[in-house]
Amino acid sequence: MFRRCAISVFLALVGICAWGRTRPHYGGTLRVEIAGDGITSSDATVLHLLLDGLTRFGADGALQPALATNWTADDGSHRWEFSLRRGVQFHNGDPLTADRVVASLNLACNGDCPWTQVHAVGSSVVFVGDSPMPNLPWLLAEKQFLISLAGTADGTAPACCIGTGPYQLAAHSSPQLVELSANEGYWGGRAFADKIEVATGKSIRDQWLDLSLGRADVVEVPAEDLRQAQQQRLTVVVSPAAELLALKIAGTGALANPMLRASIAQAVDRSALSNVIFQKQGEITASLLPQELTGYAFLFPADRDLDKAHELRGGLACPPLTLGYEGDGAMQLAAQRIALNLREAGFDVQAVALKAPQHPDLALRLLPLHGSDPAAAMEILLHAEGEQATVADASPAALYRAEHDFLARSTLLPLLDLPRAYALGPRVRDFVLLADGTPDLASASLEDAP
Amino acid sequence: MSLRQKLLLVFSLTVAAAVAAVAWTVLVRIRRVFELRDQEETALFVSQFQREFQHRSAEVAAAVDRLAASDSARALALGLVQTGDASPYLTEAQTMAQDAQLDFLEVVGPDGNVVSSAQWPARFGYAEPAAANAAQEPFLKREELPDGSTALGLFAVRAVRGSDAQVKLIGGERLDQGFLADLPAAPGMQIGLYGDANMAAIVNLATGATSSAAPVFDPTRLLGVDGSLPGAAYYQRLIDAALKSGAQTNGIVNPTGRREDSLNATAIPLKNQSGAVMAVLIVALSRAGMVEAQQHIRAIAYGVAAGGILLAIAFSLWTAARFSRPIEQLARAAGEVAGGNWDVRVRERGRDEVSALARSFNHMTAQLADQRERLIQSERVAAWRELARRLAHELKNPLFPLQLTVENLVRARELPPEEFDEVFRESTSTLSAEIANLKKIIGRFSDFSKMPKPELERIDAKDLVARVRSLHAQAIGPATAIEFKVEVADAPMPLRADPELLHRALSNLVLNAIDAMPNGGTLTLSARPLGDKIELRVADTGEGLTPEECERLFTPYYTTKQHGTGLGLAIVQSVVADHAGTISVESRAGGGAAFIIMLPRADA
Repeated sequence: MFRRCAISVFLALVGICAWGRTRPHYGGTLRVEIAGDGITSSDATVLHLLLDGLTRFGADGALQPALATNWTADDGSHRWEFSLRRGVQFHNGDPLTADRVVASLNLACNGDCPWTQVHAVGSSVVFVGDSPMPNLPWLLAEKQFLISLAGTADGTAPACCIGTGPYQLAAHSSPQLVELSANEGYWGGRAFADKIEVATGKSIRDQWLDLSLGRADVVEVPAEDLRQAQQQRLTVVVSPAAELLALKIAGTGALANPMLRASIAQAVDRSALSNVIFQKQGEITASLLPQELTGYAFLFPADRDLDKAHELRGGLACPPLTLGYEGDGAMQLAAQRIALNLREAGFDVQAVALKAPQHPDLALRLLPLHGSDPAAAMEILLHAEGEQATVADASPAALYRAEHDFLARSTLLPLLDLPRAYALGPRVRDFVLLADGTPDLASASLEDAP
Repeated sequence: MSLRQKLLLVFSLTVAAAVAAVAWTVLVRIRRVFELRDQEETALFVSQFQREFQHRSAEVAAAVDRLAASDSARALALGLVQTGDASPYLTEAQTMAQDAQLDFLEVVGPDGNVVSSAQWPARFGYAEPAAANAAQEPFLKREELPDGSTALGLFAVRAVRGSDAQVKLIGGERLDQGFLADLPAAPGMQIGLYGDANMAAIVNLATGATSSAAPVFDPTRLLGVDGSLPGAAYYQRLIDAALKSGAQTNGIVNPTGRREDSLNATAIPLKNQSGAVMAVLIVALSRAGMVEAQQHIRAIAYGVAAGGILLAIAFSLWTAARFSRPIEQLARAAGEVAGGNWDVRVRERGRDEVSALARSFNHMTAQLADQRERLIQSERVAAWRELARRLAHELKNPLFPLQLTVENLVRARELPPEEFDEVFRESTSTLSAEIANLKKIIGRFSDFSKMPKPELERIDAKDLVARVRSLHAQAIGPATAIEFKVEVADAPMPLRADPELLHRALSNLVLNAIDAMPNGGTLTLSARPLGDKIELRVADTGEGLTPEECERLFTPYYTTKQHGTGLGLAIVQSVVADHAGTISVESRAGGGAAFIIMLPRADA
């Protein structure tokens, strides 16, 4: 009996110790380094810490309530009513009201909204659309529709990003450093780290150097550098496919002829992009959505067929084309590689760094792959690309038809599904990535926190 | 132009031409010397460039060689050969190129395809034909770049050690502004590099293949050390010539049109291994120093020439004066001799030809004066003899009747008084007549010897003619059967003349004309202006004169009349000569005669 009790006590003590060892600690400063600014860049790391949406994606891609606790659809998804969470306050102490949410949303999409009208009804926000909006809750989880007090969710001015997020802006001492402090009254519970310092505009090389020197806790790992990071035995957290690398082909101007666009689609060598430039970390695809999400992506052929490209182009004359790309590194390389591929097919293509007012004939884009719902993910993707497409029927066959019809226009050429990854320092614990690849820094804690 | 001016001109031109010839010769020689110096300097730089080029080639080859032997390259080659996976080495070339300070570097795998490219990373997987040139000498190659441009580079190919020549490195250095800046350049020297992506396709000297399309010169492709080369368009001729011939070409380039800005340029074609011209290197040396020196020397030459010419003119003046003065004196003396002054003499200096001429002139004038004196003496004697003959003749004619009358009177003394009285009356009458005739003859001689000096006054020829007409119109009546016609022009005919003398002269001619027409005829007295002369004409329709008579007509004491003294026309000629006029006769046998007096027209 004593023996049993002793063993039981011993096991209990071990269990308590183990739990104590793994339980997140509050406090400390989490040092994050990113290449972008954290607000306008695609990951919007800082923005997701400052602002909340009405809904959000969970780590598994499922839709979760955020500032809205529940929502209902009426009239065949023409009307949606979102009930706001009660007792939520902005960082400045102002209460979250339906009117403020409506004002933020109206500013967010600047007239180009998926809905026709949005208005406050008591503590609810009501969306009305001329066409059905079956995927509106998923769309509202996008960073575009994060709620801010000043309605600056587009992030043009980080200093005025007053939201309801787990962190608030503590200081913006320099353009390269954003200091965030934990929002004590966060509706989802206080974040573990007291402060987060986000160093922006850091090159990947500098990030990795700082990580190795212990000056950073979380740094980015681009897909093309994943293998190198693993070779260097960094602690890397990788998301599932979070972005679609795609070639946007202008349907007007020099490429108004669909045969030319089809020829371009056949000329691009995806395997070279995947195997060499992205170091086998990207999934070759000719489909908008990943295979694991839809199950039919394999139906879209992704192999290069140069002969067919020549055949489709025929004797059609085509003036010199520009291929725009954003960023540098792999994106630049990929753009140059595609330009080379297209030259083989007889196109004179010049890869150029994309600037805001430019409208190149071709553009290499990274599109978001958000959520676990294929229809919603496709609508989000198309919406990000400026396409006002509503995917009402979520059945695989209907989705396939919709995607097939869209891709047949050859205005968007899916190339690779890419993950997002971050390398962590030894202090970081409980670091997870959301389904869209955004790091959930509010859930992360520090090992050496008091 | 006087002799002195001619001499001056000839001397000046001769000396000026000589000075100019010397100056031109000096300038040409100086220019040739400077051009030679320029060419030598350019040739020196060209040889320096070729050494520098070889040095750079060796440097590139050494750099690629070191890379091929490096651990990183050997590890790359080993991994590549073992795994066949080229993807891990995508950016390896950039790192290696950076370490080796090469502008271009490509790693080429066993399949001949690019594994990694520093200059165009996206070019992996594409074939690189230049990899076949491993272990060969460095070569020129035009490399395509991602932005669509091309760059000329100096390349070397080496196989990675330990890879059994399966993995190769193609490294190179860009021939650009930096390359030009490193070249040894003298002050005032410009260096440019002209490159065209299509150049190699245009001329291939090794194969002889030539594109039908002529290369279009693009000045923007001619780069200098600091960007585009100033006046790039002016190098087109040289570059085109170098491209066409494939050989080094020299020439003068003048970008601004000012000589001091001109350049002595050399175009050096840079060829690849197959002989195709890949680029043209321009080496241009400023000619400012040479031009300034030339201008300085030219200014000195011009100054010397101007001074020489001025001195030549002064010397010519002195020489011309020295040579021409005796001749001028001779000319003046000859003019005076021509004017009648035979007593003129010129100075005789020296023993040269001019002095001999002066002596001859003086001798000639002395002889002329002597001969004139003798001629005058002869003429005077002849005149006296003629006068004596005429006097004897004139006086003998009346003396004979006088003698006969006196002898008749002597014989008549024997006659009865009545007959004697009659004879006496006849004899005294005859004696009176002959004595009167003698007096008349003597009076004429007296008149001729006492020709008065003309008293000139302004008269009109019309008045003169009118006066003569009025005098003789009465005498010429119907009994003489002579028609007296007067023809006077309407225009004024002013004369500076003595009216009395001219009246006597004209009257004498009118009387002669009347005498020439014993059987009647037409006497015409006319006056008319002829330019700056006034013509007075007295014409008859008598028998006329023979040419011999016309020739001797104005000789004193020559007459064709039975009882003429031969002084009438001599007096007329004397009067006309005193009025600076001339008298002439026109006649032909049986056609009458016309005496024409030309007198100078008086000023208005």
